Amino acid sequence: MATENKLKTGDGPAINGFAAHAQTTSTLLRVDGLTVAYGDQTVVHDVSFELARGQSLALIGESGSGKTTIARTVLRLLPPEARVKAGQIKFNRQDVLELGERQFRPLRGRELGFVPQDPSNALNAVRTIGSQALEAAALLAEGDAAARRERVLETFRQVGLTDPDRVYASYPHQLSGGMLQRVLIGLAVLPRPALIVADEPTSGLDVTIQKRILDLFAELKESLGIGVLFITHDLAVAAERADALLVLKDGVVQERGPAAQVFAAPTSEYARELQADVPAVNPDRYRAADPDQAQSQAKSRAKSQAQGEAPSGASQIEVRSLSKTFTVGDRTVRAVDDISFTVRRGSTHALVGESGSGKTTAARLLLGLERPDAGEIIIGDQSVRAHSRGQWRILRRHLQLVYQNPFTSLDPTWRLERIVREPLDRYRVGGKAERVERVKEVLAAVGLSESLLHRRPTHLSGGQRQRVAIARALVLRPDVVVLDEPTSALDVTVQAGIIELLFRLQRELGLTYLFVSHDLSLVRQLADTVSVLQGGRVVEDGPVQEIFTRPRHPYTEALLDAIPALPR
Amino acid sequence: MSIAIAPRPAQPPARRLTAAARSAFTTVPPSVLLSFIVVLIVLLWSLFPALFTSYSAVTANPADKFLGPGAQHWLGTDDLGRDEFARVVYGARSSVGTAVVAVAIGLFAGGLIGLLAGFVGGWVDAVLGRLVDTLLAIPGFLLAVVVVTGLGFTTLNAAIATGIASVAIFARLMRAETLKVRHSVFVESSYLQGGSRNYVLFRHVLPNAYRSVVALAVLQLGSAIIVIAALAFLGYGSPPPASDWGLLVAAGQNDATAPWLVYGPAIVIVITVLSINRISRWLRKTS
Amino acid sequence: MTDLAIAATTQPSAPEAGGWARGRPYFVYALQRLAQAVVVILLAYVLSFVLITILPGNAIATTLGNPQSGLSPAQVRNVENYYGVTKPIIVQLWMALSRFARGQLGTSLVSHQTVTSLIAGALPYTLKLAGTALLISLVLAAVIAYGSQYLPGKWARSVIRSAPSLFLSVPNFIIGLLLIHYFSFQMHTFDVLNPDSPVGTFFAGLALGIPICAPLAEVLIANLDHETGQEYVLVARSRGLTQARLFARHLVKPSMLPAVTMAALIAGELMGGAIITEEVFGRNGIGSVMYQAVSNQDTPVLQGIVALAAVVFVVVNLIADLLSPLLDPRVRLGGGGRREVATP
Repeated sequence: MATENKLKTGDGPAINGFAAHAQTTSTLLRVDGLTVAYGDQTVVHDVSFELARGQSLALIGESGSGKTTIARTVLRLLPPEARVKAGQIKFNRQDVLELGERQFRPLRGRELGFVPQDPSNALNAVRTIGSQALEAAALLAEGDAAARRERVLETFRQVGLTDPDRVYASYPHQLSGGMLQRVLIGLAVLPRPALIVADEPTSGLDVTIQKRILDLFAELKESLGIGVLFITHDLAVAAERADALLVLKDGVVQERGPAAQVFAAPTSEYARELQADVPAVNPDRYRAADPDQAQSQAKSRAKSQAQGEAPSGASQIEVRSLSKTFTVGDRTVRAVDDISFTVRRGSTHALVGESGSGKTTAARLLLGLERPDAGEIIIGDQSVRAHSRGQWRILRRHLQLVYQNPFTSLDPTWRLERIVREPLDRYRVGGKAERVERVKEVLAAVGLSESLLHRRPTHLSGGQRQRVAIARALVLRPDVVVLDEPTSALDVTVQAGIIELLFRLQRELGLTYLFVSHDLSLVRQLADTVSVLQGGRVVEDGPVQEIFTRPRHPYTEALLDAIPALPR
Repeated sequence: MSIAIAPRPAQPPARRLTAAARSAFTTVPPSVLLSFIVVLIVLLWSLFPALFTSYSAVTANPADKFLGPGAQHWLGTDDLGRDEFARVVYGARSSVGTAVVAVAIGLFAGGLIGLLAGFVGGWVDAVLGRLVDTLLAIPGFLLAVVVVTGLGFTTLNAAIATGIASVAIFARLMRAETLKVRHSVFVESSYLQGGSRNYVLFRHVLPNAYRSVVALAVLQLGSAIIVIAALAFLGYGSPPPASDWGLLVAAGQNDATAPWLVYGPAIVIVITVLSINRISRWLRKTS
Repeated sequence: MTDLAIAATTQPSAPEAGGWARGRPYFVYALQRLAQAVVVILLAYVLSFVLITILPGNAIATTLGNPQSGLSPAQVRNVENYYGVTKPIIVQLWMALSRFARGQLGTSLVSHQTVTSLIAGALPYTLKLAGTALLISLVLAAVIAYGSQYLPGKWARSVIRSAPSLFLSVPNFIIGLLLIHYFSFQMHTFDVLNPDSPVGTFFAGLALGIPICAPLAEVLIANLDHETGQEYVLVARSRGLTQARLFARHLVKPSMLPAVTMAALIAGELMGGAIITEEVFGRNGIGSVMYQAVSNQDTPVLQGIVALAAVVFVVVNLIADLLSPLLDPRVRLGGGGRREVATP
């Protein structure tokens, strides 16, 4: 890849003592003043860092921070529109950007490994795993085909795959995300590279699996002495696992240093904000903001515990022995298996679980989007099991949903005003003028400016879109709002804003929330009571404090275990 | 984190329109602008031919036969002394105008079938699917020949047949787009907000599905012009003295001494279709 | 992008939609597709029948009643009975369908040969032309697709990418005329009076094949673009694969499925285009049979040609559909993976 207009810069801005120490003989990778642009938009500004042999460095940033671009630049896998405007990358003392493609290519795979973000797309779907694995084995240039196959199988075993032969013969879509990621890690490690670049290697995976993959990384790093350049948006995970951190925002380095130090005492404003926004760091963040509510809640809970009866507030929603089975082809899946839970009026109940736990199905059953096979759902005082479509329609005035993905839940051809007004139109609430007024009112309540009324969703950011979705859910003034992972598609800082908004609205409007999530630490911030689901069953149920301080079920413990342990 | 973005003052509608027009001019590539001009001219030829030439396309003028292209006759004259350019201009109506009819038939009939098949699904989809497959199985050209044989040798009939044959493609695309939208999240969300099936179909599904179908319609226009020209070339359209472009090429082929009689109409066909294809590509890129 | 390319990628009978992805066994799928194919062939025949008989002008009576046809009144009555001209339309349709099912396409009203023998006599010439054109267009499409990805220089790549659009803008009869004018009249590479010679066939195939390669090239390009942007290509490159190996090992196979589907759809265009090209180059084949039939209002022959075209198209597409699961294991093994076929 040609590097035009390249300037030789001196050392970057002052580096912490730890990096200067590493500079002696064991510097594996050194990036100096790297600047990369796509067309005329600069995505990475003058970034410098070092990575020592056998160490791990985490590049942390939200979307648009340039972290992926940096990773790709190290591997020289940038798309053709990208240009390196300035900077040096020295790998093992060799200036990597200066080399021609033919000289650099042998390094790829052998010295520089890559673990991608989305395992389900990272392997060619029409070829077997084995045939692709042999490509990695061929890099070792030893032995014949049989020997290579052996190496591959051995690597599969090393990464914890229990049936290597079966994996070898399978096609990618036949394996789960976690298994695929193990395969990819194995293939990256097989040629024994000196450095592995891992681009958000766990972001698509379940929390418990995520922990295991990260453990695997740590183990391989220890035993093979491989340096790891770790890209992530998750500050907590980075702080727990990496030796050093580099915080990026909009392509500019905000802070760098040893992980524990940066996390415990961030000096830059952005890093401080990121740290504060990590749910695990500040579990009582929102409750603490309203001491009165916390007090009154604590009081009423204490009172009812003393009296041995249900806490204040009649139950808004009651689910009893709900079951639902899906048939896909010749496979039957029990998505929801005899679950029960209660949501008290004015409180927030969370359904927590990983993929396949049934939490989304449960929420959809509650909304009437699916029909249960067995069990009861009681909303308010009516049983909705046998509701007709007309009856559901009436009920939905009081029961709304906020979807997970704000990029697909709003009609891209409609303008905001119409989107938020849609429920009012469909239910014929008030006159036209009154509807417009209500729309403006609710948009203000979610913190969006009136000037956005005539925009289309494509011009808004993810956070703004989700606020629109929340506004739309609230415009009918429902009693209950179901929130299906409302922040998982958003950046951490944006997430905090949305959660705060939800909290405030609940207080002001007396809403009842059913909060579906996979993120336990987020749930701790927002929910009052929790049901933990696994494989379609409720394994544990109770007030949020109980779940966190005295978990009873091993799965709950596993979930809690997967929350990154934060350095103090 | 800041929630409210710095509000941009809402512009009055008139200002917004001119701003849009201005940005259209600066963002549209010159080749596309040129293509639009060409298509506009050809459409005007088909509507108001007399505005573009003072010669007649029909009256013979033997004294002027076989004149080469020049200042008097831009495309020369044919074996009966008629101005070739005038013949081309007058021929636009049946070469291009009928193509518009063909595309209109395909777009509306095919679009409706595709929308229904995609939205209602089930047995309706199965039945409509077989009908569409049948139309697809018969080459448009053959269908046109059969229809023309039965209904009469006019270019309009050929165009109608071409239009019927193209219903299949429009139906397929509309169906695919409808299916895509039908399963999207915002459609389900509309149901949760009290939307009825019809409401969702016309207010959510259709506005999202029609864009690529319109881009296809433009593309089909070029294709229809070519098929109609081919039919005319072989004599399956209106007979002389009609001046369908294909017919002009066929007539020109008879005289080796007057190559401009072949090249003139041929170049007009190619440039027209090229422009239409350019517009279609641009539409698809910006949709 | 072309309409055919759209048709290829939105095909509802493709494995992705309706049933196959649910993991049903292959033979069930094959039977379903076979049944659908039969239905479509029959419907196509019905359609052509409807068009020919319901349209004004009872060709049979007119042609036969013509004193020049040289038939005695008794013979005319025989033919009329054979076709059931005096019976209601529905009955005629039923008679025609049952004849069709038995493989009888009727008799030419003019030459008294059976339609089947007329067509069988002319078909080999057309097949030769169509085969040559198909081969040429496959090669052209592959070259264009490969060039769109790997030609050095951005400008060269974008030029070759606009080639399909250019090919589509020139009618095949004009290409034919140009080729004849230059290579026959000027260069004398082939003789127009001997069109069935190999060289003549090549040029005719070129005229037919050039516009036809356009949709194929477009689908290939679109899929190569799509696949190249996928994550697994990036990962494969990170393992140090060269461009050539990357192309051969990873890009060709996934692009095969849409290419095969597309090639099947091209069959229709080939037939229509072959007829035109035969006229331009003065070749023997189905084209001249059809031309005769039209000028003589020989409806059974016309109907027979339409039936032939429909059968060929349906059979070719059936074969393509039956091949698709074999080309894409996600489809075959009923996986949860959704096949994303790029719409150009």
